[in-house]
Amino acid sequence: MTMTGDAFARRRFPAPFENYELGEPFDEMFHASGTSRPYYQGIYDFLQELPAEELRLHKQAADQTFLHQGITFTVYGRDEGTERIIPHDLLPRIITAQEWGKVEAGLEQRIHALNLFLRDIYHEGRILADGVVPREIIYSCKHFRREMRGVHVPKGNYLTVVGTDLIRLPDGEFVVLEDNLRVPSGVSYMLTSRQVLKRIFPKLYQACGVRPIDHYGQALLATLRNLSPEGRPEPTVVLLSPGVYNSAYFEHSFLARQMGIQLVEGRDLVVHDNIVYMRTTSGLRRVDVIYRRIDDDFIDPLSFRRDSILGVPGLFNAYRTGNVTLANAIGTGVADDKALYAYVPKIIKYYLGQEPVLQNVETFLASDPVERRHILANLDKFVVKAVGESGGYGMLIGPHSTREQQEEFGRKIVEDPRNFIAQPTISLSTAPCFVEGGNIEPRHIDLRPYILYQGERSVIVPGGLTRVALRKGSLVVNSSQGGGSKDTWVLN
Amino acid sequence: MFYSIRHVTRFQYSSPVSESVMEVRMRPRSELLQQCLKFELHVTPRARVQFYRDYLGNTVHYFDVPGQHNRLAVIAEAVVEVEAPRDIPEAVPMAAWDALDAMSASGELYEFQTASHFAQPSAELHKLMKELRVARRENPLTLLRGLTEKMHGAFEYAPQSTRVDSPIDEALVSRRGVCQDFSHIMIAMVRGLGIPCRYVSGYLHARSEQESRAMTLATHSWVEAWIPGIGAQQQGLWVGFDPTSNCVCGDRHIRAAIGRDYADVPPTKGVFKGRATSELTVAVRVLPTDAPADDREELVLLPAGNSGSSPLADQHWEQMQQQQQQ
Amino acid sequence: MDMLSRVCDSLYWMSRYLERAEHTARVLEVHLGLQLESFSAASQRHWQRMITSLGLEPPEGLSDPELVQWVCFDPSNRLSIVSSITFARDNARQVREHTSSEMWEQINILFHHVRSHAVQEDWEGEPADFLRSVRDGAHLFQGITDSTMSHGQGWQFIQLGRYIERVNATSLLLDHHFRHFEAEGAETINFEEHSEWIGLLKSLTAFEAYCKVYTADLKPARVAEFLLLSGEFPHSIRFAVDQIDTVMRALPEAMRPAGNRPARLAGKLRAMLGYTQMDEIAPGGMHDFLEDVQRQCTQIHNAVQRVYIDYPIDAAVEA
Repeated sequence: MTMTGDAFARRRFPAPFENYELGEPFDEMFHASGTSRPYYQGIYDFLQELPAEELRLHKQAADQTFLHQGITFTVYGRDEGTERIIPHDLLPRIITAQEWGKVEAGLEQRIHALNLFLRDIYHEGRILADGVVPREIIYSCKHFRREMRGVHVPKGNYLTVVGTDLIRLPDGEFVVLEDNLRVPSGVSYMLTSRQVLKRIFPKLYQACGVRPIDHYGQALLATLRNLSPEGRPEPTVVLLSPGVYNSAYFEHSFLARQMGIQLVEGRDLVVHDNIVYMRTTSGLRRVDVIYRRIDDDFIDPLSFRRDSILGVPGLFNAYRTGNVTLANAIGTGVADDKALYAYVPKIIKYYLGQEPVLQNVETFLASDPVERRHILANLDKFVVKAVGESGGYGMLIGPHSTREQQEEFGRKIVEDPRNFIAQPTISLSTAPCFVEGGNIEPRHIDLRPYILYQGERSVIVPGGLTRVALRKGSLVVNSSQGGGSKDTWVLN
Repeated sequence: MFYSIRHVTRFQYSSPVSESVMEVRMRPRSELLQQCLKFELHVTPRARVQFYRDYLGNTVHYFDVPGQHNRLAVIAEAVVEVEAPRDIPEAVPMAAWDALDAMSASGELYEFQTASHFAQPSAELHKLMKELRVARRENPLTLLRGLTEKMHGAFEYAPQSTRVDSPIDEALVSRRGVCQDFSHIMIAMVRGLGIPCRYVSGYLHARSEQESRAMTLATHSWVEAWIPGIGAQQQGLWVGFDPTSNCVCGDRHIRAAIGRDYADVPPTKGVFKGRATSELTVAVRVLPTDAPADDREELVLLPAGNSGSSPLADQHWEQMQQQQQQ
Repeated sequence: MDMLSRVCDSLYWMSRYLERAEHTARVLEVHLGLQLESFSAASQRHWQRMITSLGLEPPEGLSDPELVQWVCFDPSNRLSIVSSITFARDNARQVREHTSSEMWEQINILFHHVRSHAVQEDWEGEPADFLRSVRDGAHLFQGITDSTMSHGQGWQFIQLGRYIERVNATSLLLDHHFRHFEAEGAETINFEEHSEWIGLLKSLTAFEAYCKVYTADLKPARVAEFLLLSGEFPHSIRFAVDQIDTVMRALPEAMRPAGNRPARLAGKLRAMLGYTQMDEIAPGGMHDFLEDVQRQCTQIHNAVQRVYIDYPIDAAVEA
């Protein structure tokens, strides 16, 4: 069934949905025909009956809660170290049990394959010898750590915490946009926004039958304890943070509290005779597992960046010896490189002999001469991404760009092709959001579930962080670029 | 030839420091024509020395000194046997370039073919390449022999003219430098030609007055380039070229560690806690010696912890190393 | 759960800096009040003495208003009120999850308050109002701390910081005061000096408390006895030392060489102050006595650092 854009636009909805427009993107709440999807019916009815004023009050109450609980991120570049609450939208995003089942299976498969891939490239390099993935793409990646070659990691688990970004295509299919295999953040927003929503919409929450996510902290702790070095049955687990000036410090402190473990900084740790200790008032305490929220580069000034003051001298050698576990392992970033992304379906097939459950977005590599020509000829249509950037920086969104911007990116691509990829512009799905003025309008969203990898199987708490592009029409959901968050309800 | 090596490194701190952590890359490698028969490392203040082998087969010793100290001494003593390579011809066929290009395309030796921290191409480097007429006009081996000689002629060996962290442009402009600069400049040029090239840190047994001068830095460095089609079964060999001493490496060069450049394999590398500057003195003595009397067994060093995995990573690497041994 | 050394250290310094800011504000406020009533050369000398007794070394040639500005706001003066509060907040920020959110909120309010004054180029506010707000803000923080934070190890380090700073600051103040008047050898107080003695008591919020014990009849020996040896008055040296000793008893004894040193030193100082009688302090001996108190207090600080915070790794590993 096809419909013209006009047919969508002309459809009228009751208040507070009167400005709701449907278009080409998949809408989470409404069918293209304008009727509510059955699992959203409850919310739809609820919102129509709710006085506008009450919704506004709810929103205020939620903001207050976020602020009081200190659910904030730090804004850079001000000596005040100001803290802002992360913008959030009150209305939950719903995923059915059936959809979730597929997402879960797909992520489990994908992350397992990526973990096998990491183990392989840091040891035998079979996939490289077999020519499935070009060596150059690995060795030229700035996140490849040659120091990790031949290093044994506990249980062979390079990955522990993964946040994979999914989007929904216009046909409703979930596809993978990006893997975050280094130090993915945002899970604290998932957990706290659930607490807030349960308080604000208790009846609605109960009526919908939402799967709980509160066990994330315990599951994370269990996953980390499971990586304990041999002979340390009662491991001491700590969370290593760069400190209060890091923008994700709230999350570090939040997770440490959830797990009941120490939140440490590099200066709290010391390595002696290959053993890692933390300095406490009652003496040195041995540390066995480190959930580190510091990038590879900064973890040990002896082995990596010498100017790092966040790290611990000698930590890498203790890690190499197996006396302490780092989660995630060092060097996992090579597998979430945006150029490598294009090879992930092949990687899944290579290691697991399976077709990927979740597809990739079609991706062109500027490093390939043929694909580069195609990219350069279609800069007005593609989304071009710099391989080395994250957080929505270094990106060209073709259809929303000027001629000059396109030309500038064209030059950059020719200069440094390895650093760019291009993907067709995909309209992320839309979901109802409460906007200024009291109306409810569609905004673009994505989904970042958090995967706790434990080997062949993973624990994925049902839900994730739904990120919203709060500006009308915007496709950029990153919090650094005006994005916000939404609670994600996976139904029973 | 048998050599005994004594390598003394002393750090003197301007005020007391603590929590020194240090890595040492001094143990002569055991492979192919070189065998390390004995190696001991003494550290004062006393510390428990541990070691690992990295994926390139370098042995890295490390230790920490937690308490306060004003000075730190590392004394390495080794006995090593070195044989000169016999199977390096004067030249190889021009077709060797095709083999090199194929190797390049495979990415197997990627890290020795691209720019690295100290071996960066620059306008100055290209100027020198032009001046020395460094181009693929002759076969790779002849070219490298010639380049070694040209380097020796174009640069003056000048101790203390550069610091360890000087970029090569400094030496390129002044045409003076130490063995590290010679090596880095040559590596950058050789990689620029599409020949895999790596940095070797080690010791040289000096035979002449002139050579001892070149050893004022005590430790030495040179380069190795990958030449296809030679060696046993024509599998290719890493051939050592020493632009500082103007020679192809034979049985006077003792290899301690290999890497992309100096940054990968400094003899010592460490950090400490404290507001102090450190003064470093190094003394190295390399003497010919008799074969050790009885046992050729090495001093047994206990490996640190349970890192029992293969230090050699990529299987191709492993194969290449083994082939060299035949 | 064990406390990280760094966390306890930050709590300790947070508390010390805040105590210092409060002390400086209190002393300055009282002396500005005194100045309103005197304009003699003695008053100028007295003003100088007050500045040095705060441990300050101001640059030459500042006018009085400039000097007040310098003591209150100058960021280049590491002991200025605004510097102290900034350091206190920086430390609090490092350990937010170990304090109550009410504490953080209060120190933040105080910080923004003093900073909003400090950024004005030509500050024309009323110093007394500002100084009182600092004092009140610090008192409020202490009250909030005591009533919203668990009195565990972290809180003990907050106590320790507060009272170590108090012993230091108070003994410095007393030392300068008594050195001046002992030199004049008076056993009674003449009319001109009267206000300075009241000033001393008031700058330790001790005037009313003193009067309750000794009436308003001011005698140097009694003032000294009260400020040194009162076991009940919170700004007396003995009271502060008692608190330090109490903290030491509450902290776990470290299983390390010299692990009981902080407790031993604190106990020794407590005993000294508890059993000393005024007549045992030799005439003119106040200075030596106070210097000894300061020295012992510094020893306690160093021992605490050495045992709980910045202990040598080698010894700790062997333990």
